[in-house]
Amino acid sequence: MAVLLELVNISKYFGNVTALEGISTTVEAGRVTCVLGDNGAGKSTFIKILSGLYEPSEGEYLVDGTPVKFASPRDARASGIATVYQDLAMAPLMSVWRNFFLGSEPGAGGWFDTTFAKHTAKDELKKMGIDIRDIDQPVGTLSGGERQSVAIARAVYFGARVLILDEPTSALGVRQSGVVLKYIKVAAERGLGVIFITHNPHHAYPVGDRFLLLNRGHSMGDFAKEDIELDELTRMMAGGAELRALQHELGVR
Amino acid sequence: MSSTDAPAPHAASDERIAFRGPLQRLLISPEIGALIGAVMVWTLFWAVGSEFSTASATALWLDSAAPLGIMAVAVALLMIGGEFDLSSGVITGSMGIFVGIFAQRFMGDGASMYLAVPAAFLVAGLIGWLNGTLVVRTGLPSFIVTLATFFVLQGANLVFSKRLVNKVIVENINAERIKDFKPFETVFAGKFKREPPGFADQLFLGLVLLAALLVVFALLEQSLVRRQAAHSRALVLLLGGAFAAAAGLVLLHTTDGVGANWLCSILGLGGAAVGTVGFASWRYETTAPDGAWLAPSVRVPLVGGVGALVAGWAITRKLDMEQRREILSIPSQGVKVAIGVAAAALGFGVALHLGLRRVRNQASGRRQSQFAVPRVVLIALLAGLVSTVGVVALLQLTTEQGFRAGLFVGFGVGGVLAILVAKGRARSRSRRCQLLVGLIAASAVVFLAVLVRYDSGSHRFRGGLVGALAIAAAAIVANALVEAVGTKRHAFDRAADTRGRVVGFIGLLLIFLAFVLRIAFSGSNVRTSILWWLIITGVAAFVLARTRWGNWIFAVGGNKDAARAVGVPVDQVKVGLFMMVSLVGCFVGMLTVLRYNSVPAGSGVGKEFEFIIAAVVGGCLLTGGYGSVIGASFGAMIAAMPVNGINYAGWNSDNKMIFLGVVLFLAVLVNQKIRKKAQEAR
Repeated sequence: MAVLLELVNISKYFGNVTALEGISTTVEAGRVTCVLGDNGAGKSTFIKILSGLYEPSEGEYLVDGTPVKFASPRDARASGIATVYQDLAMAPLMSVWRNFFLGSEPGAGGWFDTTFAKHTAKDELKKMGIDIRDIDQPVGTLSGGERQSVAIARAVYFGARVLILDEPTSALGVRQSGVVLKYIKVAAERGLGVIFITHNPHHAYPVGDRFLLLNRGHSMGDFAKEDIELDELTRMMAGGAELRALQHELGVR
Repeated sequence: MSSTDAPAPHAASDERIAFRGPLQRLLISPEIGALIGAVMVWTLFWAVGSEFSTASATALWLDSAAPLGIMAVAVALLMIGGEFDLSSGVITGSMGIFVGIFAQRFMGDGASMYLAVPAAFLVAGLIGWLNGTLVVRTGLPSFIVTLATFFVLQGANLVFSKRLVNKVIVENINAERIKDFKPFETVFAGKFKREPPGFADQLFLGLVLLAALLVVFALLEQSLVRRQAAHSRALVLLLGGAFAAAAGLVLLHTTDGVGANWLCSILGLGGAAVGTVGFASWRYETTAPDGAWLAPSVRVPLVGGVGALVAGWAITRKLDMEQRREILSIPSQGVKVAIGVAAAALGFGVALHLGLRRVRNQASGRRQSQFAVPRVVLIALLAGLVSTVGVVALLQLTTEQGFRAGLFVGFGVGGVLAILVAKGRARSRSRRCQLLVGLIAASAVVFLAVLVRYDSGSHRFRGGLVGALAIAAAAIVANALVEAVGTKRHAFDRAADTRGRVVGFIGLLLIFLAFVLRIAFSGSNVRTSILWWLIITGVAAFVLARTRWGNWIFAVGGNKDAARAVGVPVDQVKVGLFMMVSLVGCFVGMLTVLRYNSVPAGSGVGKEFEFIIAAVVGGCLLTGGYGSVIGASFGAMIAAMPVNGINYAGWNSDNKMIFLGVVLFLAVLVNQKIRKKAQEAR
């Protein structure tokens, strides 16, 4: 498998605060790399470095084997790295197709080819296995899972090779999360490298091929799926010793 | 890829949603509430003072609506983009003053208009740029920033006109005092000449007819299943019906007189219905309508509605509309007050009684408690207030004309509502019943058209109105046929949908064109400003719906951060919108200054709220991200009609603002209800 992204010893400092230190991982085409960590583990900083919002203070960021320095998210998008944020980056009162093509409207010289836009949006969503009831309905009337799916389909259509998903399942119920996990798998099967950021190992384990665990800005390991079990993942996520102390405190025997 | 290409076109349909026909799609657009509101306000004033519908009166109220409408369009765009501009009113005055002083005083003896007008636009653009840049850079609410601009401009108007012309009004902005004034006057404030009747009228009739045909075709094409082989016998029906319809309409347009009107209308409508049936069965799959013609639950509202319309018409015929004598004159103020108080007490008492009974019923456990006693008292108080207002209004209206208006509007609205109820009920009954009710509803529209036709002063204006209502009737008939006779298409058919949409668009364009021509060539007082209004609304609607900038405007107002994240130049869009509002404000300033030849220093102050109100009535959300410029234009009509209508109604014009307030509130309320209902129907 082709390695799309490679991070070598990435660190980020804000003044005397260490946000990230010595993080390394790889993202391969057709694979899902999960980034796991509790609140304050440095996940957000990590995403912002990946998507070009921050420059790393130390370390190397390689795309297709060549080191890069992104000045803005626009640069990252130009190299095919698309980020789907938690807040979904959509206008709730606009229709699905208007949102789908927002910022990249088809048509020459300012003209917006709405017929093309409607049909393409419908077809692209179908390709991802998403069956929107009505392409004209406002995005605000979609469920959370559907909205995530539209955002993913949009990133895929606009030529993303690497898809960064920021906590796509955190605000969703069990069934909706399942839907989103399915689309993550579909995206990977279509040859994209996916970075799936979450704090839920139960969501990460079924779809992930590689797991990067973060804790307080440090890496707790970068594992391939065959090297780690779900129980182990959960235990490390919960912070092992800390959880045992907590159990003691709560009086659980 | 092969697996995704496999599904047939029909698989694109979705069993979870019922197919939404073109009429339903029309109903969920934001401007429809404003359109209904505008029609209602127009009907009210027409009913109260029938001169209101004459060509010269129409020219008059459109003349005052045009500047308001042009600005409302600009303000609506800005509002959709999520911002306000409180300086949008005063800037019209500022730019008028600027041009007036510049053209009179620049370099001693004044500048040519060719210099003054572009200079004004330049200054307006700068003010808009400043507004936008300040809002974007400081992050302060646009409400505050533009309020500051508003005060600054208001002050500047006063300072400059006092210092430079020693008055609080800039006068004599005319051809004698200013160089190159004439060409600008023609463009901004010219009048259209009245042509002798003839070609323009024929052209109008032809265009309207063609448009009606195209609209009906578009409706059918988008809703029905195509027949495999053409049904040739239906052609006879089609041709016969078409001939009768054409004959009816031509006669209607050329002859005058009550009996002839009726006959021609019946001929026209019947012919159109037969022709449409013929066309529908020639081109599309049909099913014979089945079931009972009239279900009992439909019969009552239908007969009631038709009866009410006829009764309203008969009663209003008996009352002379020219009579303004009071038929219920009450001599003393004391008696009037006493009547008002009595009405309040009665309303309060009845509402309280009903409410309390309801609370008692709930207490006995028959229903979940929704009504608490304080709420009942509140509602009762409101009822008291409403009944006082109603009685006082009635006392105001008690000229014979007012009485007639009350009766006509009461019967008319009641009749239409009843027929609508019947139509709603017919939907769930047999197809035959649906067809019948649809045809009767269309007849009611034509009935109203004929009524308007011979109740108003101008022959040509009546022609235009009949044309408009005939199109509405044609659309209702086509819809009834789709519901009752045709086999409804539930699948998505790209070719047919595109065809239908294109043809429908051409039809609507023709209607638009026909009325532009009518306005341009018929009015005794019609000014260029109305043409400008139409053009600006059209351009703005196109930009909003069919260009990337339109998409950006929606997104910037709907979710700024999202728009920025996908690469929309948010700040540029906002600054551009502010500049656009200021430039349009300057344009309106030119319209006013060239029309009235003088500008008081306070010109335009306070107008900004009218613009905002027109936009909101037109369906724009105050919070941004949603709205329509066509709706804003209708909103401007709603705001402008009472100003002139009150004079024609013979009411005390001091009541103007009260009326405006109530109408605007009701319009927004109706709009909101309709939008909610339409959203639920999705």
